[in-house]
Amino acid sequence: MKQELFQSHHAHEWDALEQWLTVRGRPRHRDRARDGEGVNGDLEFPALYRRICQHLALAERRGYSALLIERLHDLVHRGHLVLYRPPPPHMHRIVSFFAADFPSLVRAQWRAMTVAAVLFFVPLLLMIGLLQWRPELAHSMFDVEQLAQFESMYDPSDKDKRLGRESGSDVMMFGYYIMNNVSIGFRTFASGLLFCVGSIFVLVSNGLVIGGVAGHLTAIGYGEPFWRFVVGHSAPELLAIVISGGAGLQIGMALIAPGRRSRGRALVEAGIIGAKLVLGAFAMLVFAAFVEAFWSSIGWMPNAIKFSVGGSMWLLIVLWLLRGGKGNAQVIA
Amino acid sequence: MLDTLTQVETPEGTALRLRAAGMLPRAAAWAVDFGLRLVIVWMLSVLLLMLGEAGMGLYLIVLFLFFWFYPVLFEVLRDGQTIGKKALGLRVINANGTPVTWLASIVRNLMRTVDMLPAVYGFGFVAGLIDPRGRRLGDMVAGTLVVHVEKPHQHIAAPNVPVVHPAMALNADEKAAIIAFAERAQQLTPERQRELADILPMLSDARGSAGVQRLLGMASSFLGRR
Repeated sequence: MKQELFQSHHAHEWDALEQWLTVRGRPRHRDRARDGEGVNGDLEFPALYRRICQHLALAERRGYSALLIERLHDLVHRGHLVLYRPPPPHMHRIVSFFAADFPSLVRAQWRAMTVAAVLFFVPLLLMIGLLQWRPELAHSMFDVEQLAQFESMYDPSDKDKRLGRESGSDVMMFGYYIMNNVSIGFRTFASGLLFCVGSIFVLVSNGLVIGGVAGHLTAIGYGEPFWRFVVGHSAPELLAIVISGGAGLQIGMALIAPGRRSRGRALVEAGIIGAKLVLGAFAMLVFAAFVEAFWSSIGWMPNAIKFSVGGSMWLLIVLWLLRGGKGNAQVIA
Repeated sequence: MLDTLTQVETPEGTALRLRAAGMLPRAAAWAVDFGLRLVIVWMLSVLLLMLGEAGMGLYLIVLFLFFWFYPVLFEVLRDGQTIGKKALGLRVINANGTPVTWLASIVRNLMRTVDMLPAVYGFGFVAGLIDPRGRRLGDMVAGTLVVHVEKPHQHIAAPNVPVVHPAMALNADEKAAIIAFAERAQQLTPERQRELADILPMLSDARGSAGVQRLLGMASSFLGRR
């Protein structure tokens, strides 16, 4: 078939697709009703698109002119972007992600998670223990101004402070915790791409610093205001940092030891797992920031309530991570 | 290879040709986005800081969202284009040519942390120069690609002139070249048309405007006009 005849046979289909792509390719929100009656041509689109894919293949095979091929290619490319568009996230997908997919994924990556937990909690606990035995070591970790700042924040003799704040400053601290803690979580994950080095560094250094502050304040007798402040949000925050670190470590491992996959393939697979883990950790960190800003700062609450809430938080989150999504036949990742 | 053209086979069995974008337009798009975010965040900060400490908190949340989620939201919801990418005619897509998905976009944007090292996107820039498809590290992990958006083409028909049958037999490539000449003729000046037609006096058997007309006529015949 000569090009002219081919064009005159099919030009109306090309114009129809072009028209549809312009009008319905990305409908505005209010026009996004389902096209049950077929007035908008949404139902014909996939078939029309595939016919034009065939036209493109024919045009190339028969050596029709470059401009015609370019036009058909353009239509096919635009149609491809519409047909294979990702579906909008559904509420039930989000719920099932947090109820089941995320905890199962954490368990599936138990090697990386265990290593991350060890890298974080061992320095943390070591520091706390060490500073009870040799309190003067705090001075080789922090300089004098830093120590003075920590001490003034948790001074038990200062009744005004005791971390009971105005609500205005609660919102401020919420913003600060989100900006600061979530960014740390994201960086802990991303820097794992540097052959795990970044994640290891962030985990160990955060473990040392947090352990150092906790150990020092306990050793000088400021333990009570400190622990009653941190106990509430410690579970989601520390575990989220460990999960981000684990997500980073498994990316680094995909680069170091891709196994029987190519490095590129292994990286892409690890990237998807890492993104899911980091999304979960992100939610945990936002929750932790919320608790830290609006619950931990309540000054008048008795210690018994603070510590029992903090303890049950640990229990519930660990249970959630260990049991969530068990018994689901669904295979993930 | 200097050619950045990549071919992706679609499930329909046709090949999509994608032109991967280089580091320069991408840096420019990033600069546009960066400037835009800076201005918006600055204006919001003036407003929010009037609200006192609570405003400060909101400002920090806004800063956080603009820093981490601005590119993700735009890339997924606006066909792979942030405002800067749209201005520069770029688009983020999955490596298989489909629109970029949530997880892929989140990965490629979180990985900016690594691409930014050691300073001003050093790693990302070097990776983009080495990789034949211009991907920075974040693109490699996310399995994404930044491509040039082709402008929509309208097919321009060759001018309708009386059919001329060529004196000698031509093969398919030669016919295609003549047709391409005819279709593009409207975009060329008459001088350039004559200049091109004068390359083939043995085929058209004429020079100057007459040669152009004869080539156009042959194109009509190859296209199947009568």
